[in-house]
Amino acid sequence: MEEYILEMKNITKKFPKVIANEDVTINLKKGEILALLGENGAGKSTLMNILYGLYKPTSGEIILDGEKVQFHSPKDAIKHNLGMVHQHFMLVENLTVTENIILGEEPGNTGFINYNLARKKVKELSKKFKLEIDPDEKIENLSVGLQQRVEILKALYRKAKILILDEPTAVLTPQEIEKLFEVIKDLVKTGVSVIIITHKLEEVLDIADRVYILRRGKLVGERNTKGVTKNELANMMVGRDVVLTVTRTPKKRGEKPTLKINNLVVYNSKKLKAVNNVSLEVYPGEIVGIAGVDGNGQTELAEAIIGFRDSYEGQIILDNYNLPINDKTQKNSLNSILNKLFFENNFVKGRLDRGISIVPADRQRHGLILEMQVAENLILGYQGKGKFWEHNILKWKNIYNFSDELIKKYDIRTPNSKNIASNLSGGNQQKVILAREFSKTPKFALIVQPTRGLDVGAIEYIHKRILEMRDANCAILLISLELEEIFSLSDRILVMYNGQITKEFKTEETDQMEVGFYMMGGDKTKVKEA
Amino acid sequence: MEKLIKNNTIYYLLISISILFLAIGVTLYMGEYFYGLIFIFLSILIYLLANLNSNKKDGFKEFLKQKFKVILYPLIGIFVSLIVGGIIMIISGYNPFEAYAALFYGGFYKNWGTAVINATPLIFTGLAIAFAFQANLFNIGAEGQYYIGAMVAAFLGLYIKLPPIFSLLIIFLVGSFIAGIYNIIPAWLKVKTGASEVITTMMFAHIARYFSPIFIRSFGGDPTAGSKHPYVTDKILETNRLPTMKSFLPNADYRIHTGILIAIVLAIVVYYILFYTKLGYDIRAVGKNINAAKMQGINTGKIIFITLIISGMLAGFSGVSQITGLEHKLAQELNAGYGWNGISVALLASNDPIAVVFTALLWGALDAGGQYMQRNIGISGAIVEIIKGIILFLVVARYIYNYFYNKYFKKEEFVSAEERV
Repeated sequence: MEEYILEMKNITKKFPKVIANEDVTINLKKGEILALLGENGAGKSTLMNILYGLYKPTSGEIILDGEKVQFHSPKDAIKHNLGMVHQHFMLVENLTVTENIILGEEPGNTGFINYNLARKKVKELSKKFKLEIDPDEKIENLSVGLQQRVEILKALYRKAKILILDEPTAVLTPQEIEKLFEVIKDLVKTGVSVIIITHKLEEVLDIADRVYILRRGKLVGERNTKGVTKNELANMMVGRDVVLTVTRTPKKRGEKPTLKINNLVVYNSKKLKAVNNVSLEVYPGEIVGIAGVDGNGQTELAEAIIGFRDSYEGQIILDNYNLPINDKTQKNSLNSILNKLFFENNFVKGRLDRGISIVPADRQRHGLILEMQVAENLILGYQGKGKFWEHNILKWKNIYNFSDELIKKYDIRTPNSKNIASNLSGGNQQKVILAREFSKTPKFALIVQPTRGLDVGAIEYIHKRILEMRDANCAILLISLELEEIFSLSDRILVMYNGQITKEFKTEETDQMEVGFYMMGGDKTKVKEA
Repeated sequence: MEKLIKNNTIYYLLISISILFLAIGVTLYMGEYFYGLIFIFLSILIYLLANLNSNKKDGFKEFLKQKFKVILYPLIGIFVSLIVGGIIMIISGYNPFEAYAALFYGGFYKNWGTAVINATPLIFTGLAIAFAFQANLFNIGAEGQYYIGAMVAAFLGLYIKLPPIFSLLIIFLVGSFIAGIYNIIPAWLKVKTGASEVITTMMFAHIARYFSPIFIRSFGGDPTAGSKHPYVTDKILETNRLPTMKSFLPNADYRIHTGILIAIVLAIVVYYILFYTKLGYDIRAVGKNINAAKMQGINTGKIIFITLIISGMLAGFSGVSQITGLEHKLAQELNAGYGWNGISVALLASNDPIAVVFTALLWGALDAGGQYMQRNIGISGAIVEIIKGIILFLVVARYIYNYFYNKYFKKEEFVSAEERV
């Protein structure tokens, strides 16, 4: 009891409609690595946001170093030597590392910043904690792993004794994760205590000394990581036995490729080659996974395939049909001339009509129209299909019947078809997209980041559905930043690095470490990581 | 099977009667025959009766639920603004009850005819702006399209010699069409270059406004005529005028014309387009999330283009109806303001085409009642403008409601995290 530096006692936080935390009590010892484990929406982040002063608890108290404290804002928390690294980094992209670290607590006086002193301080700090970094590099030029390092340094610069890391590994490669864990272990030796929020079981076992498990806002248990098994933790986390990976039955793929990409080059907004000479084939009845760290050309590749982008070279062939890629390659019809003169060319429609489905990465931005009804969302993209309209007049009866059917079939939790899509939870929103895209019975489906931000239950469901589509002989290209997802779904894995496909694997013949190695460029000396 | 047809026959019979009663009721009511209200109530009653046994009853409930906010916000706005207006009147030494009695008596009964006349052009421009808003476009230049419609109507009205039905049809179609065409350049700029339609349509509105005096002088504008407006065109031909309500409802104000009926029908048509056609669906999809619409193969450029053109056409109707129905000539009056007021009307109606009819009538009635109040009680009619301003402010500033609603009235329903999934 006496050695606890932090106690959160009986914390309850109520939001309208949701109890985020209910009577949660946790303690933290000095120099300890503590994990908070739970599904998305279990209340981990809320609990830590309360600690960091972002939310006020409805009831309960926080005791820091034996003293009762009350934080009204993160400023108070920082004053009490707390530091937090959010899942989405709070860095200013076009400022340097030093400028970001000192932001808010600049050394110097009377309105001038002493940059030399600042740089020196940052250098000292990075030496002390073995967090090497170039203090003059701009944030936008850093990899995600290094950006995270800047965040940690920022917290340490403010003399953090307790460091909270919110899902720190979500955006990292296996190598970067290992590095991060080393850093954390070093930090703890200097007397800093660390709280890690995560929903990944392996990480808990790898790094934490102790773990609290949260479920639906309540604390369900506390374990020392020594002697606890993955299955035990998983059981506590979801309250039932989860199959950690869906079973993928072997299946013989089709003879002829559905989608064939030849020497594709896509330019980004800076006229640089974001996708550089990529060729690939996807056969019916197989899932091809593209693994890669974010920003290596996956977005551009996806956009080129669905026709969202028209500045590219090369060929995209769907079932022996060369998909039009720009004004020149499109057939000259009255429509295309009108489009050229007055409107804009939309290459997506032609692709949808030919049997391409897309599950976009950003479901709220590209996948759904949040302010529209579920039913209206479910017919989005059914362009020119007579079932839902004839002579431009909507057939609401058919639409609602169709929608009710899909809601039942895909287990979408909504009171009715007329519910507004923004009222649904993330998992159900994704189910709406999946239901819509798969009900089109596509020849080829492009699926990008299908389970981002979803909890175990929803992930399992969505994975199952994707595999069902594969078994129904659909050709699927899966682009995901989550290696586990790639591994549990794909039949073949392509590694994308720097706009190129650098390596191809059969899933059975490789492991995550090997793929991760190639995701970082293959040759470690080439990697920017220090 | 036979039973079903029979039931269906009765159902459609009842619905037809209901629609007929509604049409009669609205026509009578707009022509200052207040017992028209009885027909309107009867029509609603018959509609409910027809749907009593079908599962459409739930649909009606759902409909009310959906429209709840559309109705609630303006009502709160009106209530609060009346209180504030009352306080201002007390400060300036008038009896607010007396004043409000005059305002409402004047606006909704005594000068109802004036209210209807005021409302007619506002319904058209309100529809134009509401329609564009559905695609997340702000056609701020409805005023300009109004002038274009008015000029075309005046021009054609002076020269076309055909039986009334044909000539009116031509004037309405051509007038609105050219007003729609007037939006082509803003639409093209918006789609091709991303130039904001707020700026371009506004500039085009000014061009149209200041073109009108030139137009007037070329078509009969007579500086020596000695009238209050020295610059007016000649009156359009008798055959090219919209019939007045008085021609079939003898007690109606002689100025009320059938433009109001066209406006109401058009509101229903716009509602139908928006919520029952593929085009409307695309328009709403583009308005609510242009990225997703694009990603799902909707030609967003085309939709933006079409929406701006249709919006221009609707605003053009306003000018045509005003010339052919009420004024019969185009006067040099650069501050008609129907376009600008249409923005208020559309905002107040939450961009719902049917609600636009009601808000435009409310706006018209407030103006008419204000005049009556000024004449009879002596309070400046400006108080009406204050009330309008407050209503609009409270409707547009929705965050205020959300803030208070969340703080004080929200029932604390707690759902466990599991149910959210």
